[in-house]
Order: sequence, then structure tokens, then C-alpha cells
Amino acid sequence: MIKYIGVRLAQSIFVLFGLSLLIFFIARVVPGDPARVALGNLATEEQVQKLRAEMHLDKPFAVQYYYWLKSMLRGDLGKSLYTQRPVTTDLKQYIPATLELILFATLISLVFGQVTGVLAGYFRNSWFDNFSRLASYLGVATPSFVVAILLLFIFSQLLKLTPSVGRLPLMVKPPPTVTGFMVLDSLLAGRPDLALLALKHLILPAFSLAVIHIAQEGRITRSSLIENVQKDYIIAHEVHGIRPTKLVFKYLLKPSIIPTVTVMGLDFAFLMSNAFLVELVFFWPGFARYAVNAMLSKDLNAIVAVVLVIGVTFALVNLVVDIIITFLDPSIRIQRRGG
Amino acid sequence: MVGEQRIGLWAVLARKRRGLAKGWYKYSRNYLSVLGLVVLILIGLTAGLAPYIAPYPEHAGAYTNFREAGLPPSKAHLFGTDRVGRDVFSRVIFGYRFSLLLGVVVLSLAVPSGVILGLLGGYYNGTWIEVLIMRITDVFLAVPPLVLAMSIAAMLTPNLINAMIAISLSWWPWYCRLVYGVTASLRNQFFVREAELTGASKLHILFKEILPNCFGPIMTKVTLDMGIAILMGASLSFIGLGAQPPTPDLGTMLADGAKRLPSEWWSTIFPALAIVAVILAFNLVGDGLRDVFAVEEV
Amino acid sequence: MAPLLEVQDLHVGFKIFDGLLKVLAGVELAIGEGERVGLVGETGCGKTTTVKSILRVLPIPPARLDGGEILYRGRDILKMKAREVRQLRRTELTAIFQDPLQALNPVFTVGTQLRDIVLDSLGAAGQRLTRKEIIARCVQALEETGMPDPERIMSNYPIQLSGGMRQRVCIAEALIKAARLLLADEPTTNLDVTIQDQILRKLDELVEEKGMSVLMITHSLGVVMDLTERVYIMYAGMIVEEGRTEELFARPLHPYTQGLMKSVPKLTGEGISKGIPGRIPNYLDPPRGCRFHPRCEHGLPVCQEERPPLFTVGEGRRVACFLYRGGGR
Repeated sequence: MIKYIGVRLAQSIFVLFGLSLLIFFIARVVPGDPARVALGNLATEEQVQKLRAEMHLDKPFAVQYYYWLKSMLRGDLGKSLYTQRPVTTDLKQYIPATLELILFATLISLVFGQVTGVLAGYFRNSWFDNFSRLASYLGVATPSFVVAILLLFIFSQLLKLTPSVGRLPLMVKPPPTVTGFMVLDSLLAGRPDLALLALKHLILPAFSLAVIHIAQEGRITRSSLIENVQKDYIIAHEVHGIRPTKLVFKYLLKPSIIPTVTVMGLDFAFLMSNAFLVELVFFWPGFARYAVNAMLSKDLNAIVAVVLVIGVTFALVNLVVDIIITFLDPSIRIQRRGG
Repeated sequence: MVGEQRIGLWAVLARKRRGLAKGWYKYSRNYLSVLGLVVLILIGLTAGLAPYIAPYPEHAGAYTNFREAGLPPSKAHLFGTDRVGRDVFSRVIFGYRFSLLLGVVVLSLAVPSGVILGLLGGYYNGTWIEVLIMRITDVFLAVPPLVLAMSIAAMLTPNLINAMIAISLSWWPWYCRLVYGVTASLRNQFFVREAELTGASKLHILFKEILPNCFGPIMTKVTLDMGIAILMGASLSFIGLGAQPPTPDLGTMLADGAKRLPSEWWSTIFPALAIVAVILAFNLVGDGLRDVFAVEEV
Repeated sequence: MAPLLEVQDLHVGFKIFDGLLKVLAGVELAIGEGERVGLVGETGCGKTTTVKSILRVLPIPPARLDGGEILYRGRDILKMKAREVRQLRRTELTAIFQDPLQALNPVFTVGTQLRDIVLDSLGAAGQRLTRKEIIARCVQALEETGMPDPERIMSNYPIQLSGGMRQRVCIAEALIKAARLLLADEPTTNLDVTIQDQILRKLDELVEEKGMSVLMITHSLGVVMDLTERVYIMYAGMIVEEGRTEELFARPLHPYTQGLMKSVPKLTGEGISKGIPGRIPNYLDPPRGCRFHPRCEHGLPVCQEERPPLFTVGEGRRVACFLYRGGGR
């Protein structure tokens, strides 16, 4: 098992290097002059030249990559041309906000998606099932940012139920930063009222992100459940007198969520990319919005850093999902334990 | 001799027709799939005949008429007008045009390249060719496709064509992997071995023996991917990395309108519904195709 | 002595796309206390459907109950409320299924599954045991089935066990409750020939010890002859013959039973058995009258019109064939 994780980590590192190479390559291949773009049209040719030398832009590609790699391994990802700060500082500031959003969205999608999937599958062809099936078609077909806009429109503007901008109301002072998670920090600072406010701000963006996953993963759980409900072992459990709730939520659920969990790793990738758009709609001061701004202003260091961060996160999440599956499915566990 | 050939051709055509008829029968069993197909055809026709159907085709470009700006839906303007006075309905129809065009172009680039690389990777399983191709694929797949597309589009000048290129570059790996999986598993099956032994050319083996087995999954994926490609295109233009104004693009329309919500909701909501409609249609058709190609369980 | 279980005139159908499969057409069975009864029939004749009906685990829909009663100690199972049925399953009825790999939940250990059975069935009886006691109970049940090293097996997953061991687990699961009636649906068909005998013997032993009644469903005449006192022969959803095992096989009366006996290859070397010509009927459109008449060489005109009821031809001996109308040939 440890060996398996080790192999996977090594593979991931290898792939990530390849990724950095790819992005770096694309960044440098681009026509145009990054130094000029950074300094703007008013800068003098001298200043641009100086920046160009600083950024090693006049050197061959391999050399540039080498310099970048060296500093990256030291923890220095360069300076953001957009914020004029080290990229690492920017990342530290903005990542927690997005992380909070993504985690909350994952939680919502798990709870809503799996419960709906189980109930729809167990009560097949009931009104609940038919309704959720129809809803899931719409859910899968609606892009996250469209959901975000629609939810914003209905709940924030028409119904005035939820706020529409940012993580906390404008006039409110945020709690001292401990984890970077607004809800957690508020609770830690002994301000449950702030935590509640933060939650209210979280709900719409998180939900917008979650909708497509609720639909997608719920569907998989549902069909998996339908398939398993007919299996002999479920009949055997019933015959041997297992309580109905235990039967459904223990003996039926566990084998049924395995296909769903398998898909969650990939879905997380889409969750991350959709965050880009949803953060824009809700003016969420997160990493994804930072990334979008970096892209729009051709902030090369930031773009490369962003892509790498996402790559690393994705690889980690895939590994975690794989490990979870190993624990859920004994046949895979035995296969990996040592063969 | 000629007579024989002609009969042979007829037989092949007849078989294809029967296959089509059987496929249609399976497909039409699900009313949702048929509905999706109808909607898709409608959208396609609308988009294709846009210059003739749209009530105000000139609004699809740089047109301003501030006297007519911000009008709610009416008989003259089915979907109302946007902030510079353009008819939203016409722009949506033209927007469909560009969206569908994007989808077609992206898939025309991504699918053949991905399929060919997948065939090669799977066929030369275990050699350096496979390692090279699949490792490169892994690298491209290390980040979500939208992120990759955004990064690539960010480096290039934002416009529709570059958006198409960016999305295509992010999308080919998925087809590569799909076809690789099928090819690698079929590679050592009898019929392939046989073909090799009888001296069939590699080209023949790849395209006549292995590829037909991938046909079903590829067709299904292509249909579903049209929806996803359109979604990605709209996402890119929503951010500002895709089609630029005044090109009528569903994503840019959404971005524009969303800033001004809740006022002039029609310039946001209708493009939003339009996007959902086209993606939904492709999803339904894709699902239907999946049913057609699914092996029936006795 | 009132029978423990009585199935009377059971009609079960399955609704499928093309119509209604009339699978069970009036099944009649009875099992007494402590009796070992066999149910013999070829694949597809409705044996498993009968068992599932008794246990009330038929998937309804697409299955449909079209008539009949299943009386357990005089009460109709089919009319009981869900709670009562569950109680019945915990204290009276139990079952073993054909494929032990499919009958065990693959993602839980043997121990977990056994412990939950004990928990839920004893909990229902109002008993509360400590965790240790429950585990001891499970280990004991495994031991009784002849399982080597039962403690270790408790933490194994079904996929780690051999076919024979899996079936022993299933037997343990079935017998760990204090049940009175065991429905065994082809318990050894999917096992290696070398273990079949062992498992059956062990099962027989355990059932004898506990004084349970058994309905042994099988398509193997050998199994029935060894392990049962009475036997029912089933064909196409109907019971066609009934009687004491030894007597029935010594003197088979129904043409189908006779055909079955002839199909078994004999050591006296009469050559390859001929089998019975024809095939089992299409349940969508079963033959009118006797369901066997298309394949029967003795067909009388009445066979095509009316369904033969079970005619009594002796003590406990009945045949559903018009040849025996009036009690004798």
C-alpha cells in the first residue's frame, strides 16, 4: 500500500514537471513582449530592457526554464506583474477563500447528491425519482456560471434573501485570520454571528458550483443503487432479518457509492475550473478570480504558478480519492496490498 | 464480374440501411432522446439560416441605437434589446451560429488527432511510442481542461479562433485516452493477431479492424462533447478570453448582462436559457446514442 | 399434525415488455415440523420464484401475485404486514441461496455480516448481548459448519474465501438465528463436485441437530434421494407429482418424472440417456390444459383442455395427470 502511494507520488511529480514545462513553453512562445506588457506603453525602452534582462527574456528557452525551476524549488515563484507582489504572497492570500468555497461545495454536493441518489434509486419510478431525474438533466446541462447568475438573480436580487457579493458584508470587519476560512475563523474568534454571515455569503456560490455535481454524481449513485438492489446479497440480508434502515444505509449504500467515488476525482477537476467563473459572478476574492485577472493581463509568473497549483491539487485529490476507494472496495485493496 | 460487384455494393448498402433502421428503432424508444434531436435540428436550422430568420440581422454586429436601448420583450423585439439597442433575439440566433461553429471546429481538430494518437499509443503498447504519447497525454490531463484552455487562450490574443485552438488543445487528450484504452485491450485479441500474421498493413489494422470497435463510444462522446465544447467556449468568452465584442457570443452576452442585473434581465436570462437549451439537447441526443450502441443484455 | 408451511394454489406472474409471464400456475406444497422435503425440477421451472414468494422477497413489480395463499402455522404470509414478515424472518424462516459469492456482500467482512444478523434478529426477540457474546456466537456458528479457523475467517472478505468456505458462511448466516424452517435453494450446485457432498452432509447434520424442517430445492435426483423424506416434482410452474422420496423414485407415475428418471445415466450402461424431447413452455403463452402435454407421449384429449389437479393415488401420493384420474391407472 505504501509502495503504491509512493509510486503514484513519483508519477505525479514527473507529470507535474512535464506540466510546468508545457505551460512555460506556451508562455514563452507567445508573440509579444511580456516586459512591455507589464510596464505599459509609457515606460521607456531602457526600463523595458532592464526588466527583460531581469526576467531572462533574452536568454534561450532552456536557460529561462532552468532559472525558473531553480527559484521555484526554493519557494520563489516570481513576482506578479499584476499585483506587484511575490506570487507566493498572492497565493497565500487567495487560496483559502477558494478552498473554503470548494470544500463547502463538495460538502453540499455529497449530502444532497448522495441522499437524493439513494432515495431516487431505492424508490425507483416514484414521483421523487422521476422529478429528480428530470431535475438532473437540467442540472447537468446548465453551466455553473449560468446557475450562478440565475441563483444570484432569483435569490439575491428578486427575493433579497442572500447577499450577492464577497465573503462578508462590505461594512463588516472580518475576524483575525487563523485558517483563512471565514467561517472557521469567525467561530475561533468567538463570533458566531460573523460565522453565520459568512455562511450566508457562502451558500449561493457553493451551491452554484455544486449543482452540476449533485446531478451527475446523484445519477451514478442512483443507477448503481438500482443495480445493487436486485443483487442476491441484498435479498439475503433481507431474508436474514436485517433492519430496513441498516439495510439501505449500510449494506446497500457502501457498494453503491464506489462508482460515484471513482468519478469524484475527475469531477473535482471540473469543480476547480468552474470556480473560476463562479468567483467572477460573486466577486469572490479567491484564487480563481486572481487567476482570471492574471490571465487577462498576461501576468506570466502568476499564470504559471496558478496552473501548477491547480495541477498539484488535482494530483493530490486524485490520490486521495484512490486511497478512499481502496478502503471501500476490498477487491481493489487486496490487489494493491502487495499483489 | 461487373454484375457481381454491383450486387456486392447493393448488399453493403442494404446492410447499412438495416443497421440504421435498427439503430433508429432503439434510439426512438426514449422520447427524451427524440425530443433532444428535434430541438437540436431546430437549433441547427435556426443557426444555419440565421441571416434569413433573424428579424434584425444587422444587429449581430456593431450596431448601436440608444433610442431603442434596454427595451423589455415585445412583439417587435422578442427577447428585448440590450444596452446599446441591439435585438437580443437576433443576437442569440447568431450566437448559436458561432457556438455551433466552435463546437464543430474544436471537435474536428481534437477528435482526429486524439483518435490517431490513441490508436498509435494503444497499438504500440509497451514501446517507447506508447510511453511518449501517453506521458504527453498525462501532462495535458494534469489540469482541468477549462484551466488549460484558459491558460492557452490567455497567452494568445483573445478572439474566437484562438479560443477554438485553445479548447482543441485541451480536448484531444480525452479522445486519445478513450481510444488508447480500447486499442490496448483489443490489441492482443485474435482478430488483430490474425490480421498481422496475414500481412495486413498497419494502416489497415488500425483503421479497419480496431477503429470500428471504438466507433460507438466515440460517437457518443462526440455528441456529448459538442455540448461541453460550447460550454467551454461560452466560459472563455464569459471571462473575456474568447470572442470579443461586437461578435454576438452567448458567453459575452451573459457577461455583459450579468453586470447589470437585475435591470434588463432579458439580456441575460434569454442567452442563459439558450445555452442551457443547446447543451441539454446535445446531452439528450448523446444519451440516446449511448443506448443505441449499448450492448443489450438478454 | 398441522403442517408448518402450506402453499396453496399459488399463482405468480412477471410483467415484462412483451406481456405477462405466467410463471407459477397453482403451486401446492406442504411441509411438516421436522420434515425434510425436496422440490425437484429443471432450471426455469419456477423453484426459485416459489422460494422467493414464501420469503416475500419477490420484486413486486414486475412480479405479481395473482392468487393463492402461503400459510405459515396457519397464517397467510402474503397478507402479513411488513413488520410481521420481518419478525417471521428473524425467528422462523431462513434460507440458503445458490451462488455463495453473490449471496454475500462483497464490501463487508464475514464478521460484520454475521454480527448484524445476530444483532437484528436477537434484538427483535428482545435479547441484548454484549459485543463479546455476539462475536462468540458468530464464531460458534462458523465452527458448527465445519469451518477451519473461524476467528480468522471473521475478518475476511468473501472474495478471499474459497467457494466451499463461502457456502459454509452462508450456512452459518442461515442457521445462526433460531429458525424452524430452512429453504435451501440449490445450495451446492455452484460448488466443486468434490465439496458438494461434504457441505450437504454437514447441512444435513446441523438441520437434524436443530430439529428444523427443510425444503431442499435442487435439480439433482441424487441429492433428493439422500436427504429428503418426501419430494415434490415441479414442472413449468406446477407441481406434477408428490410422494415419499423412496417410493416416488422407485415407482415414478407422472410422465415427466418418468422422463427425468430415464434421463439420469445409469451405471448399468444402457447408453447415453435420451432426455425428454421438446422444451419448457413459453410462459408468455403457456399451453392450455396440462403444461406438459406437448411433450408427453401419453397425451389424452382432455390434457389439452383442462389443467389436471393433483389426484390422490395413495397415502401422501399425488399425481397431476389425467392418466390417474380416479386414483389408479
